[in-house]
Amino acid sequence: MADEDETKEYRWESGYEKTWEAIKEDDDGLLESNVADLVARAKRKRAALKATGAIQLGMMRHLFVVVDASACMFLQDLKPTRFLCVLKLLEVFVHEFFDLNPISQLGILTTKMKRCEQITVLAGNQKTHIEALQQLKDFSCEGEPSLQNSLERAMNGLKNMPAHSSREILVLFGSLTTCDPGDVQKTIKALKDNNIRVSIIGLAAEVRICREIAKKTGGTYNVLIDDHHLKELILSQVQPPAVAGSIEASLVKMGFPGGTPNVNDGTCDSSADHAPAYCLCHIDSETSSLMGPNGYNCPQCGSRYCELPVECKQCGLTLVSAPHLARSYHHLFPIKPFMERSRVPDTAHCFACAKLFVEAETNVYECENCHQIVCLDCDLFIRETLHTCPGCASDPVTAQMKTN
Amino acid sequence: MKLNVDGLLVYFPYDYIYPEQFSYMLELKRALDAKGHCLLEMPSGTGKTTTLLSLIVAYMKAHPLDLTKLVYCSRTVPELEKVMEELRKLMNYYEKEMGMEQNILGLALSSRKNLCIHPSVSKEREGKVVDGRCYSLTASFVRARHAADDAVPICEFYEGFDAHGKEFPLPPGVYNLDDLKEYGQTKRWCPYFLARHTITHANIVVYSYHYLLDPKIAEVVSKEISKSSVVVFDEAHNIDNVCIDSMSVKITKRLLDKCSNSITILETTISNMKENDSKRLEKEYKRLVEGLRDATIARETDMALVNPVLPSEILEEAVPGTIRTAEHFVAFLKRVVEYIKTRLRVQHVVQESPAGFLRDIHTKVCIDRKPLRFTAERLASLIRTLEISDLTDFSPLVTVSHFATLVSTYTKGFTIIIEPFEDRAPTVSNPILYFSCLDSSIAIKPVFNRFQTVVITSGTLSPLDMYPKILDFHPVIMTSFTMTLARQCILPMIVSKGNDQVAMSSRYETREDTAVIRNYGNLLVEIAAAVPDGIVCFFTSYLYLETIVSSWYDQGIIDQLQRHKLLFIETQDAAETSLALINYIKACDNGRGAVLLSVARGKVSEGIDFDHHLGRAVLMFGIPYVYTQSRILRARLEYLRDQFQIRENDFLTFDAMRHAAQCLGRCMRGKTDYGIMVLADKRFSRADKRSKLPKWIQEHLKDTNCNLSTEECVQICKRWLRQMAQPFSREDQLGISLLTLEQLQSEEMQKKIQQRAQGV
Repeated sequence: MADEDETKEYRWESGYEKTWEAIKEDDDGLLESNVADLVARAKRKRAALKATGAIQLGMMRHLFVVVDASACMFLQDLKPTRFLCVLKLLEVFVHEFFDLNPISQLGILTTKMKRCEQITVLAGNQKTHIEALQQLKDFSCEGEPSLQNSLERAMNGLKNMPAHSSREILVLFGSLTTCDPGDVQKTIKALKDNNIRVSIIGLAAEVRICREIAKKTGGTYNVLIDDHHLKELILSQVQPPAVAGSIEASLVKMGFPGGTPNVNDGTCDSSADHAPAYCLCHIDSETSSLMGPNGYNCPQCGSRYCELPVECKQCGLTLVSAPHLARSYHHLFPIKPFMERSRVPDTAHCFACAKLFVEAETNVYECENCHQIVCLDCDLFIRETLHTCPGCASDPVTAQMKTN
Repeated sequence: MKLNVDGLLVYFPYDYIYPEQFSYMLELKRALDAKGHCLLEMPSGTGKTTTLLSLIVAYMKAHPLDLTKLVYCSRTVPELEKVMEELRKLMNYYEKEMGMEQNILGLALSSRKNLCIHPSVSKEREGKVVDGRCYSLTASFVRARHAADDAVPICEFYEGFDAHGKEFPLPPGVYNLDDLKEYGQTKRWCPYFLARHTITHANIVVYSYHYLLDPKIAEVVSKEISKSSVVVFDEAHNIDNVCIDSMSVKITKRLLDKCSNSITILETTISNMKENDSKRLEKEYKRLVEGLRDATIARETDMALVNPVLPSEILEEAVPGTIRTAEHFVAFLKRVVEYIKTRLRVQHVVQESPAGFLRDIHTKVCIDRKPLRFTAERLASLIRTLEISDLTDFSPLVTVSHFATLVSTYTKGFTIIIEPFEDRAPTVSNPILYFSCLDSSIAIKPVFNRFQTVVITSGTLSPLDMYPKILDFHPVIMTSFTMTLARQCILPMIVSKGNDQVAMSSRYETREDTAVIRNYGNLLVEIAAAVPDGIVCFFTSYLYLETIVSSWYDQGIIDQLQRHKLLFIETQDAAETSLALINYIKACDNGRGAVLLSVARGKVSEGIDFDHHLGRAVLMFGIPYVYTQSRILRARLEYLRDQFQIRENDFLTFDAMRHAAQCLGRCMRGKTDYGIMVLADKRFSRADKRSKLPKWIQEHLKDTNCNLSTEECVQICKRWLRQMAQPFSREDQLGISLLTLEQLQSEEMQKKIQQRAQGV
């Protein structure tokens, strides 16, 4: 964590950590190879898990994030406190989420004192969410959480979303208890009927009801081991899930507003598009000011927005830009996992970064299509960031095939 | 899968097997080969039942002459049903593999209450009432009366069974209680008597301990079972107490008052009969002269009243003249009851031997030993003759008659203690006479002598060497198996001090200390904050539980606790406790979490499983020593010392540790389960206590976890719980704690298993 240094606690305040137990010597009594190996294996495993082949994915996601704000979130087993750590990670999550799922929407809820509070409404604007998360830092955590109340609240928000979108709830649950007003089984059933998927990340230990909710609604339930693992778990929610059951396929009407006219190259035909106007995203706030010519206009009703993607407040049209769609598209065709190669020709080098392979190099991977080999770091980079194989892309034949 | 266990082909109904199951089979087979008794400990949740059944059935098939019958004794009806389920699975597997019907008949037997299908009798709730009403419909004299007069009600199901059932044996198959009832319904036969009749020729019989151990019942039900049988006592860690209870009698003042009532009823009935039908009394008199053997001619339905173990020579003797006539006998009974009444009128505790009691009764009211020995049998005969069909009222009198017979039959291994008041309430006069059996081997001796192999098995039998001593037998095999695990799924810890470094202990001197109580409270609160779902706590006694809870209330610990979880308490009232249990389960199920405070040796500690989320942690507050001031216990300790050379302290520790192990074992019911076990007492870390825990717990109790403070304990819990919450699939277990046939047959694994078997 970045701010771990600022609020550094004393060594004796922290828990007992037996760091030496995780490390084991190899045959020669060395540690180094072992550690490197551990790291590589973990990374690779994670990457391989993601590549699950082409299935129908719910790309248009409506997600409520429920953050536990009960008394137990002040515990310091995550640094500096559970709550701050979770908020920090959520900021990253929100950013990544909109990066990977540009046509999706997100809302944030908290639960404390047996109640549930709405922090942000379901919206596609990441700025508001991140601002709200930053404000939450001064929030006091107290009382018990209520799982049922939060789920009901989120369900009410999601119920009316269109049927072709994937409805999800992500709960970050630190408490080991929940104080509910009624029978939670009924809520689970209602969630199931509404096709809402609930994923839960536990911050302390396995709670039976969480596992049950996740299992019955088709979500995942995980418990963290440490803060790195938590980050991994939260970020694993960024990937759109496979479609659960009976989401109907339908056509979605979308608008593509014209770009900002930085160069007068004639791409934007109407001069009215760039007249100064109030943007609708900030129209409610006191500080809203007349915007300059920058912004996006809804092609249907002409309202101005300062950011994409967004759902038009006037006419309800989903406004996106073409790159957004393109970025969502790669989920549908994840690149196949590379094969692990045990032997490398003597003079081989990584195709991507041109690093020379040393003799003892074990982590070498080969693309099934173009048979180029890459090193571990590049493999991960390709998988997590590029989403396309440089070997295949640079080969005119395969590249052609792929676009077709 | 088909296994080769030391040359024996065993059909095992599952695709995977635990390594310890295979070791268990090896040991069991050795015991069967040697035709000797054995003592086997294997953790609960590792499939003991199915292992036992599949090996023994395979052995019966391979050596039909050496082993003819399996008698499986279990404690409760649900356990009994579980055994039948496993047996059914096994038989289905046999049928599938062999492709034909198996000629094996297995059935469960329980009391009339669980088997009755009579439309009105079966509605009764209480076992005794069902027995009584059944008797009033099926006793031989009732049926004789029915033959003369149709208005006398009888049970049509029993009549159906009596007319046809004996000629047509039950077809081979597996019958649990419901199957028997269904079969009875279709044939219109009484399932209870059908089952009892079938026991003699069934291959596998599953029933409760009492049918073998309680001499009063065993004589009737299990008499005909052949010597070449194997008897299995499952969950047998308390078998010595069952033996003792079955031979002990407790007489209170109220019971004696009821006796007097019954005696008056007897008197009036006799005088009535004398006027109307004096012949019958004469006939009875003659019969008694001839001896008791004839009195027990096969009138199976009259067995509701049976005698305690009478040495067989007594049965051949004639009933002594003094109690032969009905009036004399009733007068005799009256004298006995009055005598006991005077004995109860004491101001201080009296303890005496049966011999002393006999001498006293002889000098005070001139009753000899000989007629006393016949009391039970004579009473049974009288009730038969008088045709009293409602037996429920007579149970107090029957108890007294049992006492009279027992006290005059056994002079060794028993003691009589008369207490004028309870220790807890010394001002309230509540005299009780305990006739207590001190020697658990008396009741079980006939079982060991009669059957070629007796298997005593349980999840917690440690320390194993104590059982052969107190039950007085010589096992050929004595083994404790551990659980092979793919992950460390139990976390035993000994917490010896609080955060303030004050030692925690339930020692008598410190148990009232507020610092100790507060530390116990803090431990529970902190554990409750760190452990999800259900937590079960065990205290050493109800009294201790009450004092602790009340001081926790004053110290505000209860409030803190309720912030994390709901609180439930076991009480001595069974109905209240079961209500608490239901709500406890509900609270665990819906995520609120709950803490159950209960008592070692109570109902919860025996027989209620807290698997998975219902018991994520078990806390043992103090060492559950039995109440050492009890005179019965002291007498027993003395006896054990004199007869078996067992030191008092050894026995007390043994008894405490087996109950502690029983409590701890509540939270572990299988390999996918996981649970924390906290032993909160400084004394647990001493070698004599620690070494008496079962091997499968000891194995995971590291030295570093033996002297923890509250805070350290909570830290360890938190880390461990996170590890346990990580996904765990069958693939992770395969090859380590779960084997396929190939893996089992691999040379390496065979070697390991051999080592395990020899290592103990």
